[in-house]
Amino acid sequence: MPENGFEPRIVVFACNWCAYAGADLAGVSRIQYPPTTRIIRVMCSSRIDPTFILKAFLHGADGVLVAGCHLGDCHYIEGNYNTEKRMKKTTQALKHLGFETERFRLEWISASEGAKFAKVIAGFTDQIRELGPNPMGKVTEV
Amino acid sequence: MSKVDNCYQCGLCTGFCPKRRVSKYSPRLRINEFLLNKQKEASWECLTCGLCSQHCPQTVDYLSFVRELRAGSVDEEAIAHKSVFTLLCEIMNCYPEAKGVPVDFEGETDENSEIAYFPGCIDFFDCFLDIGVNFHEIGDSSIKLLNKIGIKPKLLSLRCCGHDALWQGHKEIFDELRRYNTEKIERSGVKTLVTSCAECFRTFSKDYELDIEVMHLSQILEKNTDKLNLETKNCKVTYHDPCRLGRHMEVYDAPRNVLQAVKGLTLKEFDETREDSQCCGVSAWVSCNTKAKVLMVEKLDSAIGTGAGVLITTCPKCYAHLNCLKNEKPPIKDFDIDVVDLAIFLSSMDGEAKKGD
Repeated sequence: MPENGFEPRIVVFACNWCAYAGADLAGVSRIQYPPTTRIIRVMCSSRIDPTFILKAFLHGADGVLVAGCHLGDCHYIEGNYNTEKRMKKTTQALKHLGFETERFRLEWISASEGAKFAKVIAGFTDQIRELGPNPMGKVTEV
Repeated sequence: MSKVDNCYQCGLCTGFCPKRRVSKYSPRLRINEFLLNKQKEASWECLTCGLCSQHCPQTVDYLSFVRELRAGSVDEEAIAHKSVFTLLCEIMNCYPEAKGVPVDFEGETDENSEIAYFPGCIDFFDCFLDIGVNFHEIGDSSIKLLNKIGIKPKLLSLRCCGHDALWQGHKEIFDELRRYNTEKIERSGVKTLVTSCAECFRTFSKDYELDIEVMHLSQILEKNTDKLNLETKNCKVTYHDPCRLGRHMEVYDAPRNVLQAVKGLTLKEFDETREDSQCCGVSAWVSCNTKAKVLMVEKLDSAIGTGAGVLITTCPKCYAHLNCLKNEKPPIKDFDIDVVDLAIFLSSMDGEAKKGD
């Protein structure tokens, strides 16, 4: 347990067809993972606009994870290619701002990868715990 | 002060308003509603180009009027790109480690120079605008040109100047950006601030209260055209006066003198030029819609009509909007003209003969 009792608040955007199903599988299989996430289901990871990520951090999220289908397996054929491009640019913008880009992650998790989902969350939570709370001054209780 | 009480409803403003050509937006009517019915709703269709105030016989400052109406009443729906650039400003303001805009450019700089160069938010444009142009190049080119005329500028990483926040009604965001930037400029000890962005130029000059000299890149280049030594071959260009450099700050000659100092270059003028120049269609990312697109198409058509092969502009926003139109998929039509920023254009012909048409 961390000394200062800091428990990260991580926002996860998970695509309906793969990542969210993977999260469901982790749950049904009773695989434990830290209760630090708020999972938001979207139909495709390409629904995620860069402003969602920026707003999440502005409103106090300590970490943001975007999870979608593996490249080539997108339910909508090419959505996740757009996601990849967009998220790369968002990371670049965060880097320009001097913000720790380790707080933002893009992962491809399939519907059968329940264990991977849990592992990703656990690893990400540990990383955020080490980085500490979100340094932005404005924190809005959502 | 907007002096809106002076209005005697003659309608000259509406006659000149570009938005009125493509919609029912009427500055005269808007003032009427304000004066008679105390209608204080913000006006988001206005381009804030200033054509109206220019012709007003009663010296009504419609720009101040619109700005005052908008202050504090933000309409998220009216802001393009989901206000991503305003969000970046908010982050810059509340993130204590925020460095300000990136200033990592090629070229020779001097930390102790009294002349500072500020590029504006161009690196963020590269992150979020996928329109086939490179904004970072504006910074590289500007520094290259400054080096050419013998200046090694200090790179000032200020936060966003706040132009967009101001015109979008985000008063708090603008005030904080202004406070931080003013302090940083004062602490830096620079005496001159040069910017390659017309909007930053207007904002630092008119909306901040700085003790230092603020110059647009074209102005400092104009003072040193003898050191530029640029040459091209049979290149016909036309020049677009950005609203913020032209009507707002009355700088018309500097970019023209700089262009005309290039050997082998012919400068063609629009029919409506200088004070009468038509706005590119969008300001502060507000109301970028089909009506704005019609104005952009008109602008490019007029540019092609001058016979030029290149349209030069001195504002990264105009550069963005007109190239966004050119890059539309599916394309509206084939616009046979390149839209290039002044700094990129000049630095690309450094000594080389360029094929124009």
